[in-house]
Amino acid sequence: MGKVKVKKKETRIDMTAMSDVTVLLLTFFMLTSTFLQKEPITVITPPSVSEEKVPDQNLVSVLVSPEGKVYLAITGSKDSTYKSETVRGDILKNMVKSYNEKHPSNKISLTNKEVEEFSKIGAFGVPMSQMKKWLAMDIENRDKALEQGPGIPINMNEDPDNPNEFQMWIRAAYNSLNPELQETMVRGKGIAIKADQTTPYSVVNIVMDNLQTIKMNKFSLMTALKTEEE
Amino acid sequence: MARKDTSRQKKFDTRIDFTPMVDMNMLLITFFMLCTTMIKSQTLQIALPSNEKVEEEQQNKVKQSEAVTIIIDGKIDDKGLSKPDEGMLFYYDGMPPAATEILTNNPMKKVEFGNGNGGALPAIREILRERNKEVVKKIELLKKDWKDMKFSNKEEINDSIYQAKAKEIRNDSTLKRPVIIIKATPNASYAHVVSVLDEMQINNISRYQIDRIGAIDSAMMILVQGQAQ
Repeated sequence: MGKVKVKKKETRIDMTAMSDVTVLLLTFFMLTSTFLQKEPITVITPPSVSEEKVPDQNLVSVLVSPEGKVYLAITGSKDSTYKSETVRGDILKNMVKSYNEKHPSNKISLTNKEVEEFSKIGAFGVPMSQMKKWLAMDIENRDKALEQGPGIPINMNEDPDNPNEFQMWIRAAYNSLNPELQETMVRGKGIAIKADQTTPYSVVNIVMDNLQTIKMNKFSLMTALKTEEE
Repeated sequence: MARKDTSRQKKFDTRIDFTPMVDMNMLLITFFMLCTTMIKSQTLQIALPSNEKVEEEQQNKVKQSEAVTIIIDGKIDDKGLSKPDEGMLFYYDGMPPAATEILTNNPMKKVEFGNGNGGALPAIREILRERNKEVVKKIELLKKDWKDMKFSNKEEINDSIYQAKAKEIRNDSTLKRPVIIIKATPNASYAHVVSVLDEMQINNISRYQIDRIGAIDSAMMILVQGQAQ
């Protein structure tokens, strides 16, 4: 039969190569990514020419909202000895101890489970008197409580022997069992203030003055890279 | 004719369709791309003086001729936030004058952020550069050497030698170096404080500090603003 054979053309495209590429890209992003830390408030840090990077371990960052609310976020070391979880738990225990010393009539005690719960939380900012209640909440309500709550109690206090709660937290972090954190705090790289660029100076000044009072004279300010206008 | 076809086995396509796999991967990539932070934020190191009361004799008094005081002021909107593009800078040389002198001889000058001449920062940069010109000149010479790779052929070593030498020059006490005292009013925006701190780095000033605003400073500010109106 003299029929000309028409070659049947395959309409499907081979997706194997495409799949290879996407998997490669996916691996790249998975390996390089550091997730955005969830923060109770969003701040836009002011631009600066400084090129020093924020350390990603052994850092106490002080988040300051424009209204003057203060939150803390603590990261421990990357190696296994002083992981963030261990350090946070230890700092909370220190804090409870010094809080109870200051308020002998109003003692609080936290169970091991509550301490463990706390050690998983990145950023926190509730008065110690509400800590137990806050830890009992589920994640959604916790975030809400952070947003609406008063933050860590802070005031203009220049008496190092009678610290406010913010100063007690910083001291608790300084005296934690992690020597690396203590060392970075002494060098001024362990404490970073993160405040919005529209924050009035009076608010930032309170935080700085509090740190000064407890002899943490060196610290860093978090900034964003400046896009050169010249 | 007997049907041959019935006995023939159906040919299976061995290829797998990868399209859904690609779809899923793309979704995952988008997720990771949106969730990652590529740019890490920067930090600015500052050291404040200790809060402890120091005996007057032990204090290192700043030399009058070397001191420059910069005062940052801002405006607060109805939400209680500082406006980052509005505000003023005040500055004066030397120590604050006695209270009786400020009416007749007010040394303070005012620059506004965002005025026609490019704003306060270029103006203050000019002033600081002038005060710190001995250091700036030396650093510029050093920078030329650094660009020509005079210290070493390797970029890294060249960089580190340059950094060490620049630090030496900045802290060289034989040169005339100003001491900058930065003060901010409660209304000043944090962004302005940071950008003034930036100017210290830009102009290679090694000696600066943040101080609290005094009564004399506020009085002078009111006077300067009164004159302008």
